[in-house]
Amino acid sequence: MAEVKRKIQDFHHVSRGWNIILNIIAAAFSFICIFPFLFVVIISLTDEKTLATDGYRVFPAKWSLEAYRFVFQSGDTLYRAYGVTILVTVIGTIFSLILMSLYAYAISRKSFRYRGFFSVFAIVTMLFNGGMIPTYMVVSQLMGLKDTLWALILPLAMNAFYIMILRTFYITSVPEAIIESGRIDGAGDFFIFLRIVLPLSLPGLATIGLFSTLGYWNDWFSALLYIDNPNLVPLQSMLMRIESSIQFIQNSKNSSLSMAALQTIPQDTTRMAMVVLATLPIIFAYPFFQRYFVQGLTLGAVKE
Amino acid sequence: MIKSRRSFSFVLAMLMAFVLVLSACGGSKNNAEGNSNEPAVEAPVNLIWYTIGTPQQDVDKVMEAVSKYTLEKINATITMKMVDWGDYPQKLQVNVASGEPMDIIFTASGGFDYVQNARKGAFMEMDDLLEKYGKGIKDTIDPAFLEGSKVDGHNYGIPANKELPQENVWRFNKNFVDKYNLDISSVRSLESLEPLLKTIKEKEPNVTAFGMDKNFLPNIPYDYVIQNLPMAVKLDTTDYKIVNILETPEMKQALTTMHKYYEAGYIAPEAATTGSTNDLTTSGNWFADMAQTQPLADNLWSASYGYPVVSTPASNSIINNNSVQGSIMAISANSEHPEKAMEFLNLLNTDPVLRNMVDSGIEGEHYKKIDDTHMENLPASKSYDMPSYSLGNNMLLYLNPNDQSDKWEQFKKFNAEGVDSPILSFNFDGTKVATEMAAVQNVKEQFWASLMTGTVDPDEYLPKAIEKFKEAGLDKVIAEAQTQLDAWRTANNK
Amino acid sequence: MAALFKNLVRNKVMLFMVLPGAIWFFFFSYLPLIGTVVAFKQYRFNREGFWASIVTSKWVGWDNFKFLFNGSDAYIITRNTLLYNIAFIVVGLVLSVAMAVLLSELVGKTLAKIYQTGMFLPYFLSWVIVGYFAFSFLSMDRGMVNQILGWFGVERVQWYSDPKYWPYILIFVNLWKAIGYNSVIYLASILGIDRSLYEAAMIDGASKRQQIFNITLPLLSPIIIIMTLLAVGRIFYADFGLFYQVPRDSGTLYSVTNVIDTYVYRGLKTTGEIGMSTAAGLYQSVVGFILVMISNFIVRRMDKDSALF
Repeated sequence: MAEVKRKIQDFHHVSRGWNIILNIIAAAFSFICIFPFLFVVIISLTDEKTLATDGYRVFPAKWSLEAYRFVFQSGDTLYRAYGVTILVTVIGTIFSLILMSLYAYAISRKSFRYRGFFSVFAIVTMLFNGGMIPTYMVVSQLMGLKDTLWALILPLAMNAFYIMILRTFYITSVPEAIIESGRIDGAGDFFIFLRIVLPLSLPGLATIGLFSTLGYWNDWFSALLYIDNPNLVPLQSMLMRIESSIQFIQNSKNSSLSMAALQTIPQDTTRMAMVVLATLPIIFAYPFFQRYFVQGLTLGAVKE
Repeated sequence: MIKSRRSFSFVLAMLMAFVLVLSACGGSKNNAEGNSNEPAVEAPVNLIWYTIGTPQQDVDKVMEAVSKYTLEKINATITMKMVDWGDYPQKLQVNVASGEPMDIIFTASGGFDYVQNARKGAFMEMDDLLEKYGKGIKDTIDPAFLEGSKVDGHNYGIPANKELPQENVWRFNKNFVDKYNLDISSVRSLESLEPLLKTIKEKEPNVTAFGMDKNFLPNIPYDYVIQNLPMAVKLDTTDYKIVNILETPEMKQALTTMHKYYEAGYIAPEAATTGSTNDLTTSGNWFADMAQTQPLADNLWSASYGYPVVSTPASNSIINNNSVQGSIMAISANSEHPEKAMEFLNLLNTDPVLRNMVDSGIEGEHYKKIDDTHMENLPASKSYDMPSYSLGNNMLLYLNPNDQSDKWEQFKKFNAEGVDSPILSFNFDGTKVATEMAAVQNVKEQFWASLMTGTVDPDEYLPKAIEKFKEAGLDKVIAEAQTQLDAWRTANNK
Repeated sequence: MAALFKNLVRNKVMLFMVLPGAIWFFFFSYLPLIGTVVAFKQYRFNREGFWASIVTSKWVGWDNFKFLFNGSDAYIITRNTLLYNIAFIVVGLVLSVAMAVLLSELVGKTLAKIYQTGMFLPYFLSWVIVGYFAFSFLSMDRGMVNQILGWFGVERVQWYSDPKYWPYILIFVNLWKAIGYNSVIYLASILGIDRSLYEAAMIDGASKRQQIFNITLPLLSPIIIIMTLLAVGRIFYADFGLFYQVPRDSGTLYSVTNVIDTYVYRGLKTTGEIGMSTAAGLYQSVVGFILVMISNFIVRRMDKDSALF
């Protein structure tokens, strides 16, 4: 028995040679992906004047921490932005996972009479959108969410794209037979969903949870529209404001505007430091969610 | 299928019901506000002021002080909302379109565009208001500003009193001028730059001899009907004929010279896609470039770059729409208190105390006065660092310690020397040819920067661009503009 | 009526599950759709606010759509948008699935985790920043690529004025940004596959290759089909940042970089007509909608369960 098991384990893996080749491919591609980010880190640590003279260099002639010093000088604003971003991301992810997992489950069930209608109802929202101004009207004037954290959370809570992916996960990873057997045991729809379906589709939920988290973390547009209060500005929005201001000034042909604006716009290195500060914490989101890719699997195996 | 259609009509019905409720709400709210306003004559009003710039920490604090002052003077308080540079056009569009309450709006060519939005009805027409409450403005600021900012014969905003004409200069990095003992006094035309550029190219191969970004535009004696499109009228015109500027001999010659410079390596190879020359000015690795000037500009540049910069004129001093519309304050069309807003604008443009408070903050906290006309920033001014140009009459501002005492006198002289463009205050309305405008704009973006920076050979690309413009419908746009210009001429006796 | 009520009761749990989401969609997606009327109006501000402005603005019929079909650029932008999206869909699909399979087969799970995290990093860099990097590689005089070419004695290339390289560059950059993200979906699906299927196959002596082609890929096909259908719906939309920031808005490259979104942006910069930009969006949506309907119809014919609806 032990012999057979070992053999199967071996079979489970690719051969040593292939493993090395696959590792090289994956490592090469992830290097291509990591390199620009490393480059951002390097530029953020380059001396401003050196950067202007030499351009982007992997090994700059002179290093400097000035950019970070400058960013942290703003003190409160930065920490508060971190706070807002983390709060919005955590609450938003939980909130949207609940909404979407329920919706997706209902439209994944063949026994649901209106599944066709509600599927189309979701898909249409992905194809058509009313545009910025009408959306603004609804969120800020009808709902009165302007300058509240809800204005950062609610607009991203549902996403038809994620719902359709989640629906597919339910259909493929939860065998119909299990649900039927649960029903025969007398379990209600809701109980089946909570106790059988959710644990079995953990990888799917983790994927969508990850995407939601990244979506909330990277969102700056809601803040542009709905947030005036400087205490509620999230991190990415701080960064985007700087970037779009630079673009704006460069494209502007209004000389008095450019002259006045230039003085208040941060330097290249400062922007890169902002990118680093805004990105570093979220890198850990992936390992966090990835744990559940495996857990879902083992739980599923137990249920079988 | 039938089932889903039925549920769809149900949804539609719900939607309609909702819209009805919505519009009903909106309507009643406005009525209520309208009623409550009329009798309350003596109650102080609050004015909401949208302006451009990176939001400053102490805005609310300073506005409290400002409000105290204005409450006494005009019985109004002020709330200022600062919107960051890059967000301004988009955010203002959304806010104005959705009818957010606002009274005073900063607008400029390239900000939240003045002419375009005046025509769309974003601003209140203020001819009467100006007459009634804006006497101080009329007396103080250069009349050319008010004349030049008229749209279809009416005023929709108060331009900031500052440098009026547009004048280009050649700027030189003085370090190199001195090092090679170059004579810049003889430089005026584009062609006259050549010997200097040549010297620098030979002696300092690593220095960008002729710095420029993608917005570079050679000087030729024409004024553009719309800044971004190749339609222009000659400055000394008598017949007011609009031409395609690419077809003029002056442009052809300038572009040929530019291309020669490019080929010779005086211009950076990627000039046509370069967004800014900040890295050059920071590092000092440049020799010459072109810039718009104002009095004492050399000092300003030298101080901010950290090395001496000198300049010499490159064009005449012209007053055109663009130079007049660089900074304007308008009254929002949905303002509840247009009279008060006008009173405030009048005060802001005539009262040095208010103007300096808005600009530099609270005396003793953000700045201190040295003498009657000079002031000095205190450390706290970091929390209230405002862009002066956008906040009204600049000539009321206190001077910095190292400013020359006759700074504003020099500005007045500079403004007086400007010559009106023949089409000053003619603003083309592209609504009728919007389809063609979109196509023409795309063609312009495609060819403009590479032609103007000399990156491509005009012998080959100029005819190509002209052909493409024709295809996009430029002739139709020019014809429409000509019709409007002729009508404007008749109306204004030009 | 009684039948409807009975059905509602019978589906009450499911309806209850859908309800919060449906309400959200109603408010955040359907209600704003009323604003689409602007596409047929010449929008002018009304002091009473947006709805009033819509009512009082003048009807202009299809005028706002004309600029999308005017002149020789209309063909170029439609072609570019379509071809790039098709390339992104096809190549992106193949490579993301391949990457997911590859990662799932790696022996060292810690390494796999590091690779995956790394592949996510491009997602965090905004297009503006990506644009800077592309420039630091491709710049004429200081770019790394030209320096490397120089070592081999190859003549420098003017990257930003030579259109012939750009289809490849843009496809590469897009894939570089998207693969990490998309492969997660496939990787999670692979990990959700019942392990006993593989064990059975192994006992039958199936090779790794056979397992991938006979178990993994067929079981991935539902998610692959859904992802593709969803992508088809956005086939007339282009990622503005990719086509604007990465080529640095270089005019000489427009023949291969101008897409519907950049065209609309450039065309409306001076006039800023809300009606025209709304019209463009509506046009993109309607075409996407029609294409989704057609492809969904075809999928339904072949495999009812994999269709969107």
